[in-house]
Amino acid sequence: MDLTWDIDREGDASLVRCRVRNDDAVPRRVRIESRLGAPVLPPRRGGLPESGWDEAGVTLRLDPGERRALGFAARAPPTDPPVEIADVEAVDTTAESVSEEPIARDERAGSATAVALRRLGDHRPPRAATAGGADELNGASKAEREGSSNPTGDASPGESAVSDVDDDDTFDGGERDADPDDSPSASRGPTEWFDAVGTRLDAVEARIDRAERLTDADLAAATEAVAEADGVEELSGLDQRVAADATRLRELSERASALAARAAETEAPVEALEQLA
Amino acid sequence: MILAVAGGKGGVGKTTLAYNVAAALDAVVVDADLGMADLPGGRGPDLHDVLAGEADPIETLRAGPVDVVPCGRTLAGARAADLRRLESAVASIERERGTVVLDCPAGRRADAGVPLAVADACLLVVSPRAFALADAIRTRALARELDAGLVGCAVNRVTEEPPTDAIADALGAPAAVVPADPRVGRSVAEERPVVDAAPDSAAAEAVRELARRVPR
Repeated sequence: MDLTWDIDREGDASLVRCRVRNDDAVPRRVRIESRLGAPVLPPRRGGLPESGWDEAGVTLRLDPGERRALGFAARAPPTDPPVEIADVEAVDTTAESVSEEPIARDERAGSATAVALRRLGDHRPPRAATAGGADELNGASKAEREGSSNPTGDASPGESAVSDVDDDDTFDGGERDADPDDSPSASRGPTEWFDAVGTRLDAVEARIDRAERLTDADLAAATEAVAEADGVEELSGLDQRVAADATRLRELSERASALAARAAETEAPVEALEQLA
Repeated sequence: MILAVAGGKGGVGKTTLAYNVAAALDAVVVDADLGMADLPGGRGPDLHDVLAGEADPIETLRAGPVDVVPCGRTLAGARAADLRRLESAVASIERERGTVVLDCPAGRRADAGVPLAVADACLLVVSPRAFALADAIRTRALARELDAGLVGCAVNRVTEEPPTDAIADALGAPAAVVPADPRVGRSVAEERPVVDAAPDSAAAEAVRELARRVPR
């Protein structure tokens, strides 16, 4: 059995790549274990580890001359070597017809859900789509930017123009609601922007909470807050950011109430228009 | 009985038919479209919360002309949803309420596959256009691999005589024709299933015909 490896450091995690080759003339089952001081984070799909992996390592079946590449991460500093061959055993080829490949065995034993998750692509929206939030949600994004994420930037006239266009989009969305059959996403509009604003406000609230806890804090409470923020550097600029939050929140509140008043005044004769159309 | 309403392509009327067939079956309809929910929402916990492990499936049931398990509308909720929880969630709704209809998303990713894996049978929705049929055939293959027997297919929003026999041959299941009817199109938004709103219409008869094919 021939094992080569390579290790990279990424933040507080070690990324291990290895190649293993069965140089025997018979099929072998090999157990490769991590020597890093933390549980193995195996390759996953849909939240399910690939077949053969567990916290300590991986078990593979290799045909004669077969070469396999694998990799994993662990939250631990690199060690030398990061992996070792813990066990090699001959595969009993007579029992093989019963037990087959570990993958096939797993798929049969596992639920149909596990089969679907292993074989089909991940459905989840990328992390960037949820963390950024601002780009994918129309009308709300400007208010959000004003509300929290860009406390130092001023709203330019250009942005206001964009916001006007967004308002039109929102109206279209509402109009399409009547026929969800044609537009799968139409009914999401009215509530989704609010969720996004809510999320942004939660972030601002967390910042204000922190500032409140530091206001007139005794030594113990302050130490705790600093420890929670991963050091005093993380808190630098907190006072300016919270002050900017206060300004933006006041602006946002004024604009929101003005818009609410205007929204309450409108009376679009959509039904009448539909009857005429 | 758990019935998945699938179709591969988006916009062919999966949600509308899931809702109306659920009405004819007196079933609960679950909005399993994690990324683009379509069925009426609500204020309480939804399927995103259940799949994130934060709510009991039974408390998400929302009473109406057709009882609905709504789905959240946020991308963060779709991201946090763990599809491994779908099977037990749907099973507990089935124990409580008998028949469950799953409104599946479009596509061939895990969110479309897992509801098929969870379901006992599936109903395919196709539009009378050829390009939608290709997606339906791919979904048919996926359903077969995941052991969701096909009980029928619905050729939806038909305005002129479609090649029903060719579609039934391609998919390997009897095809029911659902004529284009604005009352069907509005049924979900207004929460008025066509079997109640217009029981004598051709569309209502087609929906009842599809429901009769579902073994119970």
